[in-house]
Amino acid sequence: MPAAYPIPSDLSPATVTNTASLIRIVALGLISGAAIASRLFAVINFESIIHEFDPWFNYRATRVLAAKGFYEFWNWFDPTAWYPLGRVVGGTIYPGLMATSGVIYNALHALNLPVDIRNVCVLLAPGFSALTAWATYMFTKEMKDESAGLLAAAFIGIVPGYISRSVAGSYDNEAIAIFLLMFTFYCWIKALKQGSAFFGTVAAIFYFYMVAAWGGYAFITNMIPLHALALILMGRFSSRLYVGYSSWYAIGTLASMQVPFVGFQPVKTSEHMGALGVFGLLQIIAFAQLVRSHLSSKQFQNLLLVAVISSGILGSLAIVGLTYKGWIAPWTGRFYSLWDTGYAKKYIPIIASVSEHQPTAWPSFFMDLQLLMFLFPAGVVLCFMQLRDEHVFVIIYAAVASYFAGVMVRLMLTLTPVVCVSAAVALSTLLDTYIDPTEPPSSEDEQVLEKDAASSEAGSVASTASAAPTTKKGKKAQTNSGADASASSKKASKPQKGVFGLDTRLTVIMNAFGMLSFFVLHCTWVTSNAYSSPSVVLASNNPDGSQHIIDDFREAYYWLRQNTPETAVVMSWWDYGYQIAGMADRPTLVDNNTWNNTHIATVGKAMSSSEEVAYPILRKHDVDYVLVIFGGLLGYSGDDINKFLWMVRIAQGVWPEEIQEPDYFTPQGEYRVDDQASKAMRNSLMYKMSYYRFAELFGGGQATDRVRNQAMPKQGPTLDYLGTNIWLPPIPLTVLTIPADEAFTSENWIVRIYEVKKEDLLGRDLKTANAFGQGKKRKRSKPAVRRRPIV
Amino acid sequence: MRLPTVLGALLAIPLTLAQSAESIHQKLVDLAAAGNGLISLDGDSFDLLISPKRTWSATIQFTALDARRRCTPCKEFDPSWVAVAKSWANAPREHKDNHFFATLDFDNAQTTFQKLGLTSAPVVFVYPPTQGPRAPANGRTAPSKYDFSHGFEPEPLATALSNHTPVTIPYKAPFNWSRWGSFAMGGLAFALTLRFIAPILQSRWTWAAGTMATILTMVSGFMFTRIRNSPYTAGNGQWIAAGYQNQYGQEVQVIASLYGILASTILVLIVIVPKQTSEARQRLQVYAFTFATLAIYSILISIFRVKNKGYPFKLMF
Repeated sequence: MPAAYPIPSDLSPATVTNTASLIRIVALGLISGAAIASRLFAVINFESIIHEFDPWFNYRATRVLAAKGFYEFWNWFDPTAWYPLGRVVGGTIYPGLMATSGVIYNALHALNLPVDIRNVCVLLAPGFSALTAWATYMFTKEMKDESAGLLAAAFIGIVPGYISRSVAGSYDNEAIAIFLLMFTFYCWIKALKQGSAFFGTVAAIFYFYMVAAWGGYAFITNMIPLHALALILMGRFSSRLYVGYSSWYAIGTLASMQVPFVGFQPVKTSEHMGALGVFGLLQIIAFAQLVRSHLSSKQFQNLLLVAVISSGILGSLAIVGLTYKGWIAPWTGRFYSLWDTGYAKKYIPIIASVSEHQPTAWPSFFMDLQLLMFLFPAGVVLCFMQLRDEHVFVIIYAAVASYFAGVMVRLMLTLTPVVCVSAAVALSTLLDTYIDPTEPPSSEDEQVLEKDAASSEAGSVASTASAAPTTKKGKKAQTNSGADASASSKKASKPQKGVFGLDTRLTVIMNAFGMLSFFVLHCTWVTSNAYSSPSVVLASNNPDGSQHIIDDFREAYYWLRQNTPETAVVMSWWDYGYQIAGMADRPTLVDNNTWNNTHIATVGKAMSSSEEVAYPILRKHDVDYVLVIFGGLLGYSGDDINKFLWMVRIAQGVWPEEIQEPDYFTPQGEYRVDDQASKAMRNSLMYKMSYYRFAELFGGGQATDRVRNQAMPKQGPTLDYLGTNIWLPPIPLTVLTIPADEAFTSENWIVRIYEVKKEDLLGRDLKTANAFGQGKKRKRSKPAVRRRPIV
Repeated sequence: MRLPTVLGALLAIPLTLAQSAESIHQKLVDLAAAGNGLISLDGDSFDLLISPKRTWSATIQFTALDARRRCTPCKEFDPSWVAVAKSWANAPREHKDNHFFATLDFDNAQTTFQKLGLTSAPVVFVYPPTQGPRAPANGRTAPSKYDFSHGFEPEPLATALSNHTPVTIPYKAPFNWSRWGSFAMGGLAFALTLRFIAPILQSRWTWAAGTMATILTMVSGFMFTRIRNSPYTAGNGQWIAAGYQNQYGQEVQVIASLYGILASTILVLIVIVPKQTSEARQRLQVYAFTFATLAIYSILISIFRVKNKGYPFKLMF
């Protein structure tokens, strides 16, 4: 057998295996290191801080868990959230994340390592990403081999699609969920391959962990049954499938019902019905097979078939009937919005308003997955070529997850693992083909060989034929056998397919190596530039290129923490609820756990209506401070004026008569904030709070809103109901010199906080009181008509 | 005895007003009956319909259906409007006459359009009653606008307008014969040809092709264009949408085919090239396909650079 390059032949097989496994271990270690290190950009560029919005709640809950223990945490009622309703935290969260950090924290303290709980939380996601790389390695190993596994682990370690949700400080459920997802899938594949109840149980345990950690567990709940169903339909039912699925489903479902937030959902909601249905189907088929193997009578088998089909139909009818009677809930809104994409916008604007729930344009896919994006389909085709049971799983996963990722940006996260796995399968097959040193015999050799074979065959045939009388038939047989011989030699040369020469090998390998290096550059750039911003602290560049930190959020939240009474209620849009609770430690009206639409709509109504309408709402909810985010000065586009239309929409959903979205547009249908802004817009509390005294900042020059690029009118809005409470001092003259001002505005004006005035001490309405305070004479309006003519 | 006369006069004024309002109402009822539930307005009847002392409510579609006006959305919306308006004729008798559906075409009442400051069509205004038991409690009698973000379809229109009518608009979507018919025909055809197409359905390559098509269209942003109703291209022939989080329909096709070609070059290198028995031809194929991968990949990156201006890397182009 010719070889393209020499390989040492004096090595014992044991040495080769040992070296290979050592290299694998070292490679996995390095991959883990790379996965963790590339997630630390955020800590290096900024500091060890919790990111974004939801992580602030998780962090706050974890602090409670670490400080007071698990039982206190489990029974924790938080009176400061959703003021005045409060929130039963223990029963309304997935506790997996907090429990994980709590265990790590306690373990480290037991080892006398006094690590701060914040650092445990910040570094949890990078740590788990290393575990994800390992789980992906194990999973891909089942698909192809170890080398594909290593590639897949390297991909998932650095791919931006996963880093986006797992940088240091991104302390969210997804941080641990992807590891659990991959490991559950690995156990399932293992259980299916070996028919092992042990691996089925391990899958069930990790499924339980996943249920406790992330709402996305429904993906597993439906992927595994879908895989099982596909295998049944392909005629691949086996006792391995039966054992694996039954052990996973029975234990996993019972375990998942122990999570209070999930409760009886696995037997009541439609999301879980698929898993139950496939479980039932498997029992019926297994029963039928068992009975068939013990019976021979044809009639009895027919009877059995009828019995099996009718029980299947009865079972599905029962589910339909239960749904109809309302004992099984129909699809929940969040799930339904994945299929009917217009649904959320019409019926649940809160879901539609979240930026993570927007559909994905192709640049996002390319940014997050780059090179893998086209290796992925190639890998799926390779799975089709082999099509073992586990490949069916990858294929279904690939198709389903691509659809989901297209519908919602955040579900890119579930697509990323399968892309890594299948791209690794493709790339490692390519490398296998071109690294393998064996060369096929060159075509000239082959021709010679073929000729030899043909002549020898022909000779033998001829010799046998010569013994027989040379008839026409014999001649025909001779030609036939010649054709057969050439066919058989072709068949023999088929396993000898391969690549000739060293240069071809080097070309393909260098090309692959180049593309992989480019991929690494891309991932590093994307991670450091796009995904490592904590969004609590912003950064911009000074003209000389140095970094300038914009720390308005923390400045404002700490102002609240230090300058207001602990019971002061802060109203803001729900996006900032968790941050205010986490950093300022003050009660909030609404927060990112958007369970109460009406309460959010109340805030939306207060923000979008005029001061006179909003004031009673604020007073009834005991609001002391109102907080708005304003980016007009700095050009920060994620501010409240840009989110304002969603507030209007959500308020309109509850009060369609009082708040109407078109009122906030100009007659030409434009969304403007300058002097052409509509009346409802200019009178709204949100507009007034955002632009209050904004024009004064420009000292007579033209005031410009840098986000919307619109020139602001010189005369800004006035506020009567918000501002500092003026406690009348003894000398009235000084009152006149203190302007009614906002309570606090941060350095770059990103956060503005207003104090809600108490009712006027003299019983006047605040507008009149304010006018009086400014020395204006009360306008004499027409005296109210006391008596009407009686008709 | 002057007081009674004054009182009498005072009483008489609202009485006459009521009289006239009554007659206007009767007129409108007749008009609606003549138009089969939908009043076709002109400037004068418009003033009657929105007379300041109305006890009825009205929804009015302002449109421009004349071909010269070239208002495509008007034509798209009109059938839904007519369907909803006609369904109001089936409302209970005692409520039916308290709400009117009307259409005002631009060519019949240009001055009214100017007076209302309308510059675009179609627009649907809801005029609440100013008097009587159904007058809004907060005294807001200004018309409100139907929000077209609900869509042009009749169902959302009927749902949204039902907030303003005395009873829910009894709109029922007409039975879609063609849809169910084609479903039934499709099912029947499938059942009949099952025996012949079974080998195709059982072939893994059929499923492979389907899966590939699904994956490639999905990861090229097809759902984005569906949900956002992106146009196929911009009007000026530009096919790449500006902005990182935006795209046109043609981009889906271009990107999907680029991904598809790249994936197939990889597959050719893996599966087909090693089968080649001639050494020279195989070498040529290896070089050709490797170069093709690199070149198309570079094209992909250059398109991505158009979308993401800050992207610092490039390959060949």
